[in-house]
Amino acid sequence: MLVHVNSSSGVPLYLQIESQLKHAVASGALKQGDVLPPVRKLASELRINPNTVARAYQNLERDGVVRTAPGAGGGTFVADIVPGLLKSEKLRRLKPLAVNVAVEGVQLRLKADEILRLVQEALEELGEKP
Amino acid sequence: MSDVAISTEALAKFYPRIRAVDGLNLRVPRGSIYGFLGRNGAGKTTTIRMLMGLTRPSAGSFQVLDLRWPHDRLAILQRVAYVSERKLLFDSMTGRELLRFNRVFFSSWSDHATNTCVKRLDIPLDQPFKKLSRGNQTKLCLLMAAAQGAELLIIDEPTSGLDPIAQDELLKLLIDEFAGSGRTVFLSSHHLAELERVADWIGIIDQGKLLLEARLDDIRSSYRRVTASGNALPVSKDSRVISAVQFGSTCDYVLSDQSDRFADELRSQGATIVDVSPLNLSEIFLHLVRKEEPCTPGNVGATPAVSS
Repeated sequence: MLVHVNSSSGVPLYLQIESQLKHAVASGALKQGDVLPPVRKLASELRINPNTVARAYQNLERDGVVRTAPGAGGGTFVADIVPGLLKSEKLRRLKPLAVNVAVEGVQLRLKADEILRLVQEALEELGEKP
Repeated sequence: MSDVAISTEALAKFYPRIRAVDGLNLRVPRGSIYGFLGRNGAGKTTTIRMLMGLTRPSAGSFQVLDLRWPHDRLAILQRVAYVSERKLLFDSMTGRELLRFNRVFFSSWSDHATNTCVKRLDIPLDQPFKKLSRGNQTKLCLLMAAAQGAELLIIDEPTSGLDPIAQDELLKLLIDEFAGSGRTVFLSSHHLAELERVADWIGIIDQGKLLLEARLDDIRSSYRRVTASGNALPVSKDSRVISAVQFGSTCDYVLSDQSDRFADELRSQGATIVDVSPLNLSEIFLHLVRKEEPCTPGNVGATPAVSS
């Protein structure tokens, strides 16, 4: 299945869905134009509340990761890579995560190059060349 | 139509020796799956029995789907389905007979809903109710609730006594038939893991009082365990701190909110923050309910903080 949720991890379920779908798009498992399962179907498969899935989809739409088309033949699709987004805006969105990684890393007394290597490895797993 | 399916105002039920429900103010949003949590004897079933008019409140009032009890009692029974823990149906009747029997009581009964539901659920309809497994008994009750066209489904301990497969089927049934279609599901349970999946709202009751009522995702985002180490850590009287447990020079704080600011405050007092981690529902439940218990010699070290 596309998404797995862990209900006892303490991380909100809608965030788990969001981050897994974002990951799937980033890694190419989902391509632009791919259809996502309807809210109720995914909720039923995961045995979770449809409102939770709907919230995740709404947030993904707000972030430009997916788009929804109404009516028959409609649904939720993986959006085109947002071309309109300025690079500065993309960086602004990513910055809080970078700050998190830095703070957590320093907190755990990791060295700067060890932290950077982690990020690099994550990029390589997605097939991004340095 | 208000956006609240159930609301109670200072609802109470007193028995000679016990305050079973003690000033309860519930607000169950329409369209939610609301998990009503509490230990055995916390007042869950008594609350539900009052909502269904099976026992008279000692004080307070409530509304169900904007209907007032006792004035609108019959209308409440039409529009609400109640599945009790001990399913009291005519034991010797088969599922088919029970469906035919119940049909006449409900103006909004739908044979179409019944048929589609029967097809998907695979319930033996020609066996007497008492011969059905507990899982099938529960399924049959939910089938009748769906057929009745209930806008609100109240289930007491839905999965108690069910095997894991039956539990899983039941959750799927609840999601497919009731959730996401604007219907509200109010279920009481102390099976936290399953509630953690399906519920989007949570109310925690203990000794007849509501300890917490909130959207589950908000609870998950705000409750944190902060582990700090250092000398002279404050055993805080902070209202945000739900519990503080000290081992040696380390202390585990459980906070209901603002954990980042709390961690910063500790840091500024010279402490090292070892970890800030989320808690699952079961941990939050234990911390909240334990807090209400008086400090016993066994947990002196675990001095509970003063509640807000």
